[in-house]
Amino acid sequence: MQPQIVLTRKGRLFQGFQAFLSSSSKFHHRHQSSDSNEAADFSTNTTDGDEETSLKPVITSRSLQFPVKHTYPRLAWLESMDSLEGKKLGMLDLHPDVFAVYPRIDVLHQNIHWQKMYRHIDYNFEKSRAELRGGGRKPWPQKGMGKARHGSIRSPLWIRGAKAHGPRGPTSYFYMLPRSVRGLGLRIALSCKYAQNDLAVVESLDIPSSDPEFMAEMADVRFWGYSVLFVDDTDVMPDNIAVSVNGNEGFSLMPSYGLNVYSILKHETLVLTVAALEKIERKLLEEMHSTEKEKKFVNTLRPEDFRTRPKEDERMYRKWSQPLYF
Amino acid sequence: MSSKVTERALNLIKSMPRVALNNIKPLPHTAFKKKTDRRGDRKKKGRGDKGQGARGTWDPLGYEGGQNPLIDTSPRERYYAQYAVRRQYPPVTLLELQRLIDLNRVNTSRPVDITSICNTGLFNFDISKNHFGVNLTDEGCDQFVAKINAEVQWTSELVIAAIEKNGGTITTRYYDPSCLAALYDPLAFFKKGQPIPKCKLPPQDALLYYSDPNSRGYLADPEKILEAREKLAQKYGYKLPDLEGDPVKEMLLMRKDPLQIFYGLEPGWIVNLRDKCVLKPKDEDYLKYYHSAH
Repeated sequence: MQPQIVLTRKGRLFQGFQAFLSSSSKFHHRHQSSDSNEAADFSTNTTDGDEETSLKPVITSRSLQFPVKHTYPRLAWLESMDSLEGKKLGMLDLHPDVFAVYPRIDVLHQNIHWQKMYRHIDYNFEKSRAELRGGGRKPWPQKGMGKARHGSIRSPLWIRGAKAHGPRGPTSYFYMLPRSVRGLGLRIALSCKYAQNDLAVVESLDIPSSDPEFMAEMADVRFWGYSVLFVDDTDVMPDNIAVSVNGNEGFSLMPSYGLNVYSILKHETLVLTVAALEKIERKLLEEMHSTEKEKKFVNTLRPEDFRTRPKEDERMYRKWSQPLYF
Repeated sequence: MSSKVTERALNLIKSMPRVALNNIKPLPHTAFKKKTDRRGDRKKKGRGDKGQGARGTWDPLGYEGGQNPLIDTSPRERYYAQYAVRRQYPPVTLLELQRLIDLNRVNTSRPVDITSICNTGLFNFDISKNHFGVNLTDEGCDQFVAKINAEVQWTSELVIAAIEKNGGTITTRYYDPSCLAALYDPLAFFKKGQPIPKCKLPPQDALLYYSDPNSRGYLADPEKILEAREKLAQKYGYKLPDLEGDPVKEMLLMRKDPLQIFYGLEPGWIVNLRDKCVLKPKDEDYLKYYHSAH
């Protein structure tokens, strides 16, 4: 058992270096491998996610789009998936605007609520007093019976009568959350995962065995938890990972375009490939910095929504009240 | 600083339970309001008995029972009487323009006109609010160092001097509202499949401004504009750069025809985005219409 390195943050000096040290201590208590305690080589490579050239982990610098000066880029280990424990192949820079945003839980709630409700349709339908069978005739005369006055046996007052304001037919709860809020939600979810040590970046999803137990043991050894979400760049996955994830309940495989707040928070650990990380970061930063005016979605029907035939162009056939002179 | 707060928050959640679906809550008071108690909303609806209150026959606001009301004691000052009729030119400063160029939001190797500014997405021009184009103002004239071929709708002498000092050119140009609709959002206009409109001449009160070489109007005599350039250089004390030996001379001298609204596209043409082609009229009457100012 190697002694744990305890680091205290003494101030805002050498933020980048402190960040590196603190992040290394985060990952240290999980792994018992000898590599993590050795002094890291500070040689910087321009290529990201390079294969290991030496036994020591090499810090690879990733060039970040839209760099910020008010805060420092976060660091994450680049791990390999070729063995149970895996090797640390390097260290990647993560953009702070994607992985270090203020953790707004209410924005996460908005996203999750939207994800649940935009596809929800309520199929409940209650017949009105006009639609219920019977109830057209006055049950007894107005006066003289000593009974209460009624006009129909299907009025809401009656047993087996209609519901006055019941649910009326399929109701859609579709609405669109603004694109900026959806992008922010993803960034917050990723930031929470990074801050709480639930983010892992791997080289690729090529694993040596397709046995689901191998995958379960790998997650156990790496302390990835009960549920893991693997995200890759493309939607065509290697055979081994597809079979092993299929055999494990709680493990999910997803292309980068399927990334959503609900799935990120549902799974305990998020495992990204380098290619997926690049794509996600680029898209989220582009959305954040785009000046395109988003059309506000208004959840009401207009006459145009009921038109089935295209509107005919009648400009040439307009009738004139008086003859035209040229 | 926002990053201090963010760092504290991110450090805080390190020691907290995992952010998951079971511990996400909305902000207070964002959930739907409870249904109000409607028991008291029957019969009189909270309006009381009879009278103006129940019948909604209140006197007009300010009515003083027949006495001359306060609002009528002093005469009217019609400050905003013609506001709906007057043309407006929302300002864009030279400093903002320089910043756009520095951040590569505007391409200076092509002429910079109202469409280039609208395509940045940072400015909102609205025809319904009588926005007849952009007014380039002189704030930041000392920091302006770009060499551009600018086409704006209104400007001042100092702005012209600032631009020409750096070797660029500026023209003031009028567009009528139907042309502005196409210029503010060209993509939306091309999707309509309508022919490009021809630009009308300016109204009478603007004709003088756009024919004046001192304001570099598009209807002014080009020779008089050259004279005015030299006079301005003498007035503000800078040496007028020579355009003859300039590598981008062709770009700087690009000017639209008075009827033309897009560079490279003539009025009457239809841009088909779907089939990626341009449809041009062949009929003589159409050509006569689109090539004449009347």
